[in-house]
Amino acid sequence: MRSFGKKDVKAGVLAILICAMFICVGFSGCTQQQQQGNPEIKNPTTYVRYDIGEPRTLDPAEAYDSASTDMVFNIYETLVTYHGNDTKTIYPSLATNWTVGSDQETWTFHLRQGVKFSNGDLFNASDVKYSLDRVLTINSPDSGVAWILSQCMDLNSTTILDPYTVQIKLKNTYGGFLALMAFSVASIVDKKIVEANGGVIANTDNQWMKEHAIGTGPYKLDHWTHNSEIVLKKNDLYWGGWSGNHVDTVVVKTADEASTRILALNSGDADFAYIPFENLVDIQNKTGVLIYNSPSYNTVNGIFNTQSENTFMANKDVRKALSYVFNYQSAIDDAFNGYLFLSPGAIPKGMPYYETQNNGVPVYNHNLEKAAELLNASGYTQTTMFKGKLYRFNNTAIRIWYNSGNSERQKMALSFQQDLANIGINSIVSTESWPQYLNRLYNTIDWDFMFLGWMPDYNDPDDYVAPFVGSAANGGDTFHTGWANATVDRMINRAKFNVSTQIRGDSYATAFNIYINDPSLIYIGQESYTRGMRTWLQGYSYNPCIEYYYYNYYKAYK
Amino acid sequence: MKTWEYIVRRLLLLIPVLIGVTIITFTVSHVIPADPARAFAGGPKAQPETIARIRAELHLDKPLWEQYFYYMNDLIHLNLGKSFLENRTVTTALAQYFLATFELTIFATIIAIPFGIIGGIISAIRQNKLSDHITRIIAIVGYSLPIFWLALMLQYVFAYQFPIFPLEGRLSVGMTSPTTFTGFYILDSIFSGNGAALISSLHHLLLPAFTLGFAELAIILRMMRSSMLEVMGSDYIRTARAKGLSERTVIYKHALRNAMIPTITVAGLSFGGLLSGAVLTETIFNWPGMGRFAAHAVLGLDFNAVMGFTLVVAIIYVIANLIVDILYAVVDPRVKLGGG
Repeated sequence: MRSFGKKDVKAGVLAILICAMFICVGFSGCTQQQQQGNPEIKNPTTYVRYDIGEPRTLDPAEAYDSASTDMVFNIYETLVTYHGNDTKTIYPSLATNWTVGSDQETWTFHLRQGVKFSNGDLFNASDVKYSLDRVLTINSPDSGVAWILSQCMDLNSTTILDPYTVQIKLKNTYGGFLALMAFSVASIVDKKIVEANGGVIANTDNQWMKEHAIGTGPYKLDHWTHNSEIVLKKNDLYWGGWSGNHVDTVVVKTADEASTRILALNSGDADFAYIPFENLVDIQNKTGVLIYNSPSYNTVNGIFNTQSENTFMANKDVRKALSYVFNYQSAIDDAFNGYLFLSPGAIPKGMPYYETQNNGVPVYNHNLEKAAELLNASGYTQTTMFKGKLYRFNNTAIRIWYNSGNSERQKMALSFQQDLANIGINSIVSTESWPQYLNRLYNTIDWDFMFLGWMPDYNDPDDYVAPFVGSAANGGDTFHTGWANATVDRMINRAKFNVSTQIRGDSYATAFNIYINDPSLIYIGQESYTRGMRTWLQGYSYNPCIEYYYYNYYKAYK
Repeated sequence: MKTWEYIVRRLLLLIPVLIGVTIITFTVSHVIPADPARAFAGGPKAQPETIARIRAELHLDKPLWEQYFYYMNDLIHLNLGKSFLENRTVTTALAQYFLATFELTIFATIIAIPFGIIGGIISAIRQNKLSDHITRIIAIVGYSLPIFWLALMLQYVFAYQFPIFPLEGRLSVGMTSPTTFTGFYILDSIFSGNGAALISSLHHLLLPAFTLGFAELAIILRMMRSSMLEVMGSDYIRTARAKGLSERTVIYKHALRNAMIPTITVAGLSFGGLLSGAVLTETIFNWPGMGRFAAHAVLGLDFNAVMGFTLVVAIIYVIANLIVDILYAVVDPRVKLGGG
């Protein structure tokens, strides 16, 4: 065996030093100071967003997830729409004006003339009837989104009065009808194009329309590379015209890794990026970067299983007590880093009839004494000794679940567990993947408390109150709590099938007073909508109903 | 046995291998208590009709053995089913992602194999000299560094602090992919005469290819070094030197070919591994390849996608092994294919 000489040792030390030098050079960049002043605007006429998740489809009759509806809202148009961050007013779009008959069921829309699809085809009333009937006929098997229109429309609803006037006769009065007409599912497609590419087949999604899109909106599809990027270019034929400031090109990239999105934003490659709450610190105080923060309709809910094997979960006072145990401030501060605000009930802040919920003031707060009092009064006292401590419910553990990878829910679950222990309730916190989580929720009773969120479909309380607290028999109980109340169901239906604001408001108020005192959910709060954004991006404002409307965007320093 | 007979026999062996792979993957993925149909249909917002349709399409309402029968029946008809996460067929998705991963892997291998072999030779013939120490340190660093860490660091240093390489993706922002001939951006750019796309795609390849290839380079380097050292110490090398042959002839004519056999084995299997296991590199560099597709499929319990990916990987490994065996015979004439 060869022995090492002095020369070999020297060579080894030298080699290590050389390698160390390379590593140091590599990391020296990490300590560089940020450039001061306004950095040069990258890609001045192109808007680039780094996000998670990509569209499932570009077909308005199928689009239901937010990534898909985002594209639909910018390529296609609806008869009516929202402007800026205003969620209260519905504005004209492809319809210039509309009237509703005295029966509250007959709506007449007068259409904008001279509008062309991006391929040059002229838009008219036959496209409107074709589009709305198409949604109901296809009844998208892949997404099921047609339910939104079929609540109040059928194939006999839409009638062409003349080439630029359509009448929609609802099958029943529906309070949120205009909000439905502003949702992406009511987008108008080009009849000629669809007919030339597969047409309409009942209960069958159109494969061509999934990946192709020709609409009247401000942008047209340039290309879509799955799991990478989708690129839109401006539609030169857009009726709104291109005077003023607008981006010409829109690039939406799918980037799973948060660090990639953070670097893209900080370097200016991205104008806009989804940054998780826990990573917002990585973009704070960076030159040319700001955190956009606005109230959203995304609600955070704790779900009680009233059908649990643990029969005490069926007791409303137990659920009220648990609502007092939950630490709402900890959820705001620790789980959501301050990007959450409290919610009194099912209707989120910003949506009509929010004030019918105790004037917007939450009924429950973190109050362990009150919780203990309620439990003691119900006979659930601390009687079972275990490891030197007295427990309630014969030391039966409350089973708390959250879906893996959701750090906010994990933090809330652990905080809840700690507070439960403080009033003598044993609990187990567990996690599993999303498909397993859904299986547990919907196909088993092996859980007591779970976390779930909710995002809007359309801007009406019916999209929140009915699924949250309506009974399963009434088409509600989306979270599978097993809770039902006949009066609440009656109030939900009364509000749904009425256009009187007075009647609708009274109905929601009555329902609230019942369901909040017999809670099937803990209404934890509403997430703030937070995104990282370059300061050079102008014209952006968040609207929960239309998250992105690129036509308003341009890049310049103010 | 003739070479072609050997190849056909090995390819026929693919059939029982694939059946075995489908049985194991199908069973493991389907016994997990989960509700993928509801997840695909939109989670809590899913409509009952949509859930029922997906369950029926996946035959989830049938016993496991019957589900497997339906799957195999489709597979025999070359139908890999639909990826519910992607909302398109598994075949379409795999065709796109496989080509992206294959291009990345080829470039990673182009970095890894020549540099690994040359580094290994230098390291062996200059044992315990400075160049040996440097190459050994590179090798140790290469297979010690977690690939995600290396990717993040390269991205941070060379795309953010010193932006000489793009941060992610396959082409520059807004650039349309070249006309498709092969699905490989480099080749398609050349065939379509799209110089801008060629430069952009090469530029975008370097960081992810280096990340992916660095660990393989380290393994090949170490393997090459140790086999060269072993061969250089053997009697026939001593004989060659005693005959007065030049050191160059001794190394390249006599030692190298014999030392190459274990290196070919490692390189071949690594190539298969890179093709199937580029999850982290693809995720960090936002590369639309098979690794990301597989990761999404596994996390979302997209059965058909998981099965399709597993089958492709199995085929890749079998073919990579076959190529390695053929290369043995090319490198060493004493090796007879099929043992005849």
